[in-house]
Amino acid sequence: MGKSFLKNHPTMLVFLALLALFTLAITVFSEAYGSGLVSTSFVKTLGKTLCLCLVAIAMDVIWGYAGILSLGHFAFFGLGGYMIGMWLMYERTKEVVLRSLENQTIPPTETEISDAIATQIFGVVGSSDFPLIWSFAHSLTLQLILVVAVPGILALIFGWLAFRSRVTGVYLSILTQAMTLALALYLFQNDSGLRGNNGLSGLQNLPHVTAPQSEISMWFLWASAAALGFGYVFFTMMLSGKFGMVVKGIRDNEQRVRFLGYEVEHYKLFLFTVTAIVAAVAGALYYPQAGIINPAEIMPIASIYLAVWVAIGGRGRLYGAVIGAAFVSLLSTWFTGGQAPDIPLGFYTISWVDWWQVLLGVSFVLVTLYAPKGIGGLFDLLKRKEVQK
Amino acid sequence: MKRLFFACLAVLAWASVGHAEGPLQDILQEHRALIEKPSRKTISPAIDDIAASGLDQAQRMLQAWEAKNLWQRTEDGLFYIGTTSGDALTLIDVDTGEELPETDKSAADQLKPNAGVRRLISSALVQFQLSDPNETRRLEALESIARRPEESHLAPLQASIEGEENRAIRARKERLVKLLSIAFADTPQAQIEAIEGVSGDLNLEVRAALNPLLATTRKVSDVIPAGENVAHVMRLGEDISRDEAYAALVEAGYATKRLTPAAIKDILAANIVDGQVGGVPVADLDTPEARDEAYRALAAAGTVPPFVSAEEVDEKLRTHVIYDAYNEPNGDVTKAAQSALKAIDLNVGLNQAADLGLDALSLASIYFLAAIGLAITFGVMGVINMAHGEFIMMGAYTGYVVQQVIPNHTLSLVVALPLAFVITFAAGVAMERLVIRKLYHRPLETLLATFGISIALQQLAKNIFGTQARPLTAPGWLDGAWVLNDVVSISYIRIAIFVLALCFLFLFLFIMKKTRLGLETRAVTQNPRMASSMGINPDKVNMLTFGLGSGIAGIAGVAIGLFAKVTSELGNDYIVQSFMTVVVGGVGNIWGTLAGAAMIGTLQKGIEWLNPSNTLAAQTFMIIFIIIFIQFRPRGIVALKGRAAGD
Repeated sequence: MGKSFLKNHPTMLVFLALLALFTLAITVFSEAYGSGLVSTSFVKTLGKTLCLCLVAIAMDVIWGYAGILSLGHFAFFGLGGYMIGMWLMYERTKEVVLRSLENQTIPPTETEISDAIATQIFGVVGSSDFPLIWSFAHSLTLQLILVVAVPGILALIFGWLAFRSRVTGVYLSILTQAMTLALALYLFQNDSGLRGNNGLSGLQNLPHVTAPQSEISMWFLWASAAALGFGYVFFTMMLSGKFGMVVKGIRDNEQRVRFLGYEVEHYKLFLFTVTAIVAAVAGALYYPQAGIINPAEIMPIASIYLAVWVAIGGRGRLYGAVIGAAFVSLLSTWFTGGQAPDIPLGFYTISWVDWWQVLLGVSFVLVTLYAPKGIGGLFDLLKRKEVQK
Repeated sequence: MKRLFFACLAVLAWASVGHAEGPLQDILQEHRALIEKPSRKTISPAIDDIAASGLDQAQRMLQAWEAKNLWQRTEDGLFYIGTTSGDALTLIDVDTGEELPETDKSAADQLKPNAGVRRLISSALVQFQLSDPNETRRLEALESIARRPEESHLAPLQASIEGEENRAIRARKERLVKLLSIAFADTPQAQIEAIEGVSGDLNLEVRAALNPLLATTRKVSDVIPAGENVAHVMRLGEDISRDEAYAALVEAGYATKRLTPAAIKDILAANIVDGQVGGVPVADLDTPEARDEAYRALAAAGTVPPFVSAEEVDEKLRTHVIYDAYNEPNGDVTKAAQSALKAIDLNVGLNQAADLGLDALSLASIYFLAAIGLAITFGVMGVINMAHGEFIMMGAYTGYVVQQVIPNHTLSLVVALPLAFVITFAAGVAMERLVIRKLYHRPLETLLATFGISIALQQLAKNIFGTQARPLTAPGWLDGAWVLNDVVSISYIRIAIFVLALCFLFLFLFIMKKTRLGLETRAVTQNPRMASSMGINPDKVNMLTFGLGSGIAGIAGVAIGLFAKVTSELGNDYIVQSFMTVVVGGVGNIWGTLAGAAMIGTLQKGIEWLNPSNTLAAQTFMIIFIIIFIQFRPRGIVALKGRAAGD
């Protein structure tokens, strides 16, 4: 590896350079550490976008490289968010509760504290006890382990079941979609232990941190950028050698690879689990910036959007996924945020808040039909022109 | 004979005294003091005598009395039925019904019995109503007894059975007698007999009659007193928690109240002296033990109520027994009631299972209806259409729009069904030509492209119809339910959907097996090149088949819209289940789809039955089950074999 690895992957170097430049630029223009040109809310949007890019490259690896159209990776993303959200919410509520109990003449007992926290958190779903799954919520370390472990194990079990019985192609897509739906429906229940459709909220407040949101948002932007960079390098390395060849072989002709003696299922299962874990990490970075997570976020439609991003950006190349996720999600924020100018047609005014989804759906159909390589295909055209010159 | 005697007597009396008197008037006069100042406790003999007289006019008189229309003439103390208009009063003789000349209101006093007395009067009236020549009157009386059964009803009811000629009413009377004797029979034997007579009866009235017999009261005692009809002795930690048990002891006066931790805390806070409570520094009071210690010190000093320690609680609980006792003292009666209820419960359980089966069947037919279009496009053609749910939605909205134009619900439904077919058929054909045709043999791309269409269509519907649910009202003749008994019932609309699903099944079979299109479709799906060399135009066949599947989805949409709320997200609710139905059943086989729908419907209802509060959980578990099921039968319930299986 070493030098030759870097030489063989010039796009990775370009990408990392651009990412570093971008992060630096935002830092320089941020409210917290720079001129204040970029507002804190926009910093948050950018930080979230970086996380979406990370989950998009995970999606690209499983779909674009291995040919498994998973409609469940956003569920893993959400699970990661839930796991970190539990700690954030617990610690934050504990802080608030301790402060409110400070003025009492008699110091509170531990049971009183935990009861007060539980009532605070679960009051909305009519409960005042901690469910069993919150047993580790007090410890950041344990909860961080769960960020990786819970989606990882879920992906492992589900993947094992699905790949073992050789569910492939659209069947696997439908099955993953069903899994996502089942998870979302489960979380929608009030007695799921994760506050039903209220979800977890107030996640933007880091416990024990007094820094203003402008600074916190910058920290998360840095963390997200670092995670994205790391994830990019990780997947590039993973897919560059023989392993990557086998994976692409599985995508192109699974049967043939199997006949060559490779354990196709093991490869698939490994990729499925690893990408699920990366998605979960992305989610764990995303939701503290978003501030709230609820089951609606992980309904199957979110995973479908994830596939849409990757398809629009261009499958089978990591930078394509990044471009697609960044482009579409930022555009979506712009359109649905009401910033896009409405188009008056005289008899009817096209308001983009209403029509953005129609545009997205139609353009998605068009991309699938006429530009299967997505935006990334443009780079191919450029390259070919250069060669022709 | 008796009447004749009284009549003679009356005539004699008339002749001798010279003013209106009759047999009823005599009875009234006899109880004059009671009637003038009636009270619930004393009036019974008077009412009983009137009712027992057997006089026809007694009913009219009692009714008037109950309605506060009985008057007493001041001059001679005689009772009359009175009607007033303004200040004028017309008195009517209680016996003969003769109208007396109009007088002034001041000539008589109106009798105004209180509510308690009126209730007694009305139950006395029951016996008249029960033998009223008018059948509706008799039935009304029976219904009022069934609604508010009283002990006093039993005897007149029993007496009226003999003269009853209408068989239905007679059966109803006999039944009511049974129900009344359960609660009010004189002897336990009669009660038990009545209870055994209704064993296994599904009727709600029966359960309502039996349940009060088994009502219990929670009691606390050192030892269970003899003669107590004990239902159940509470076991600590199993039937009752320690805290609840102790609270029961306190309530019964067997123990002193234990302070809650919060109350202890308040008391401690109120007794801080020099930063200490009972010798314990305030800062150390952050454990329950330290707080108990501090409180004990305070209690020892006598400043606060005594402390009840955990050991004392244990001791009290050990020496006392908490139990539920039946309010009914006779053990045999409660035992009979219990076994009767058990038999009823078993019967109810069986019927509930039947009801559940019907529910499952109707849910299965809904899933089948939603999935049958998909069985064509996905199952037969192998095209994965994620916008299938949106075709269902389009059908439902078509039904809604037609209903806005044609107010008659039946007619609008007749118009909407074919119109929905036409619209979604057109949409399907358009989609096939513009998108799907270009993506044959690239199933994942088809999936994505149709997702795009699904997103766009959903938002389009939202833009046109708004986000709130639109009503699609079923015609009046589909309202209501087919009620088999008090447990099993099924709404007509679900029967209609079941019938519709059956129609579609046969339509599908007919088209696929008996028509040219079906033959060509099968040929094209098996081998498009061979088919085209036989002169079949595969493009046209695919287009029509896809249109057919979409059109059926549209019709299903109208049917689903009748009972679900019509929103732009209607399709979302069905798309995953529809695909599951097709995949579980086995792709490419309509019987498989049927089996898949039946399995999913039964499963979901079954899980809901196990956990009735939570339909979300039912769906979750159902999906998990399906994922596991596919492990064992990856090709579905009805798997195609050999060449037909493709790939």
